[in-house]
Amino acid sequence: MGIRERIIAILVNNKPGVLSRVAGVFGRLGYNIESLCVAETISPEISRITSITNADSDFIDKVKKQLTRLVDVLDVTELFPGQSAQREMILIGINLDQEGRAEIVRSIGMFDCKIISMRNDYCIIQVAGSREEVETVINFLKPLGIDKIARTGVLALRYKDSGF
Amino acid sequence: MEKTGAEILLQTLREEGVDVIFGYPGANSLPIHDKLEESPIRHYLVRHEQAAAHAADGYARATGRVGVCLGTSGPGATNLVTGIATAYMDSTPMIVLTGQVTTDLLGSDAFQETDIIGITMPITKHSYLVSDPGEVKSTVKQAFEIARSGRPGPVLIDLPRNVMAAKYEQSGNEDVTVSVPQKRHVERKKDAEDLQRIANYMNMSERPVILVGGGVKLARACDELSGLIEKGSIPFVSTMMGIGSVRSSNGFNLGFIGTHGNELANRIVHDADFIMTIGARFSDRSTSIVKEFAPLATIAQIDIDPSSIGKVIKADIPLVCDIREAITKLTPLVERKERREWLSRIEKERNILGKDRSMKECGPAGAFIRDVQAAMPEETTAITDVGLNQIWTVRSWETKTPRGMITPGGLGTMGFSLPAAMGVKVGVPDRGVVVFSGDGGFFMNIQELATISYYNLPVKVVVFNNGHLGMIRQIQDLFYGSRFNDIELGNKVDIVAVAKGFGIDADRISVEDPGAGIEKMCAAAGPFLLEVIVNPDNYVYPIIPPGRSNIDMIGGRQG
Ligand SMILES: Cc1ncc(C[n+]2csc(CCOP(=O)(O)OP(=O)(O)O)c2C)c(N)n1
Repeated sequence: MGIRERIIAILVNNKPGVLSRVAGVFGRLGYNIESLCVAETISPEISRITSITNADSDFIDKVKKQLTRLVDVLDVTELFPGQSAQREMILIGINLDQEGRAEIVRSIGMFDCKIISMRNDYCIIQVAGSREEVETVINFLKPLGIDKIARTGVLALRYKDSGF
Repeated sequence: MEKTGAEILLQTLREEGVDVIFGYPGANSLPIHDKLEESPIRHYLVRHEQAAAHAADGYARATGRVGVCLGTSGPGATNLVTGIATAYMDSTPMIVLTGQVTTDLLGSDAFQETDIIGITMPITKHSYLVSDPGEVKSTVKQAFEIARSGRPGPVLIDLPRNVMAAKYEQSGNEDVTVSVPQKRHVERKKDAEDLQRIANYMNMSERPVILVGGGVKLARACDELSGLIEKGSIPFVSTMMGIGSVRSSNGFNLGFIGTHGNELANRIVHDADFIMTIGARFSDRSTSIVKEFAPLATIAQIDIDPSSIGKVIKADIPLVCDIREAITKLTPLVERKERREWLSRIEKERNILGKDRSMKECGPAGAFIRDVQAAMPEETTAITDVGLNQIWTVRSWETKTPRGMITPGGLGTMGFSLPAAMGVKVGVPDRGVVVFSGDGGFFMNIQELATISYYNLPVKVVVFNNGHLGMIRQIQDLFYGSRFNDIELGNKVDIVAVAKGFGIDADRISVEDPGAGIEKMCAAAGPFLLEVIVNPDNYVYPIIPPGRSNIDMIGGRQG
């Protein structure tokens, strides 16, 4: 299999320094992390890391073995598109003039997004959805002058309970 | 009762069976040294922190126990790094204690502050920063558990000065339960099936070979493995780290494989139809060109560390399992066989290659090493440095006990042998201890002669003086058009006088004509240094050029 986006989920002990150990493994193997999302799980002593890397099929095996060597890593698994729900959230800041303002208010209803802050000359829009959905919104808003964006990176959860 | 963090530390080390620490003090580790005096733990003051780490490593390799070293913060900690990396590469169980600046200064670029945890992250199995004296005991216990369990390795504990000095009220019931985090998916269901498959292959294959790695010693499975080999009449080869796991004189030993290995071992692996690899990670030094390694063989690989399996060579039958457990369960499944055909074919090959020639492959240096072995007590541990001296030694010294040969195979750390030998002697004082080093490696930790002399450790030090970085010279000679750049050490230094200056008796001989030199060294009650003058053209053959396969050697049998 060639290079494609691979999502892996990692359960780790929620302790200082663990993230840098995990990131170190990716770096040492020469992989770039495209997105990374870390937060505690339902058990506060365990965190869940979801990350995306563009890589070939060797990647999972190599990363999984090296990650599993880390004392604080409890589990590593790959999540596949057809078998898991995937969502990303983005905040988009846009500089506004009067025209743009009207345009945004008009068009925002077409998408599944929300204006969460609106000032005279600036607004922030929240978008949540699949990778494709959020990309569509970004592309649509680009001509209106996006000032900056912040993305959570993809979160994913397997459909059926399988321990992950 | 109230105790300081340092007292709890030392008490917990005692509970873990520690009797020796190799270290070097500084302001930020003083609370520990302050209390060491009252502890039954002996402290050996080295002359450079790198030596403390190598000594702890040597101690661990010689005894099978966990080695402990201690340095102060900043430069003390960074000096330990090469020793930690050496231990990590060869999976030595080791605890590295480092002093650290007080917790309020952490991250402020304080005097003698370095982020040693960050620096050593890729070369430790795990590490801890202890920020409260109440955590000392559980942290240390957990660190020991991690260092010696599974695939062993070094664990670093960073100890801020104020945490070591602070008083802490220990509760009456001091039982600390250690919990090393458990992995979720433990896929062990197939073990029995896989073992049966391995046994079937072993029983049915015509040309089986066992490849023995360093993991066998680490798992204390040497006797079990010898039993298996003898029951099935299965010839075995070793990696460099696996040497000495099985008595090399039992008739089934073919030597070690790889770049500098024995021709017989490399050729037989190439012919084998089944290889059971046990406790080896297929380093590039062992396999040479991967796609031409053992082209005819089905490969089974048994290892405790999943990351070692299939990393370099794809295993047809991978099995993650404790090595001793695997061999114990495998032995009853393997049929008792004579394997006349396979063994006689190997004997034929052995004769063609000729015992004589294999003796000559290390030149006079090889013969000299055999003479030293003959003169030393049977129970002797040889410690090699890195370079030609290392290859000569591992090829010429007949290892008779599992911990009888110690070599820094994974990292190839020049300067390892002298300090490691101190740890060995301290760990197993009743055994003979002999170092084989080149002049280059000897100079790298020469200061440890002072430690050896101060503690009067009866270590025998052989320094092969060829005036050059010998192994690099051979590589330049063969693969860089004999352009000998930057490798001449010269002969300006009077090594014998230097040794005497350190308070160590010494002598100089030539390798062809050792005269009474060997006897004098072996008879000396205390430490002794023997400088052995060697011709820089005394190389080691055969050798596998970079980018070639294991049977494509220079100086081997033609055709
Ligand atoms: C710390 C370190 N630096 C450099 C090397 C590269 N190296 C490998 S063998 C060798 C030559 C060793 O020379 P010497 O110690 O005189 O031993 P000889 O090969 O002559 O026996 C060198 C420089 C190394 N292995 N370790």
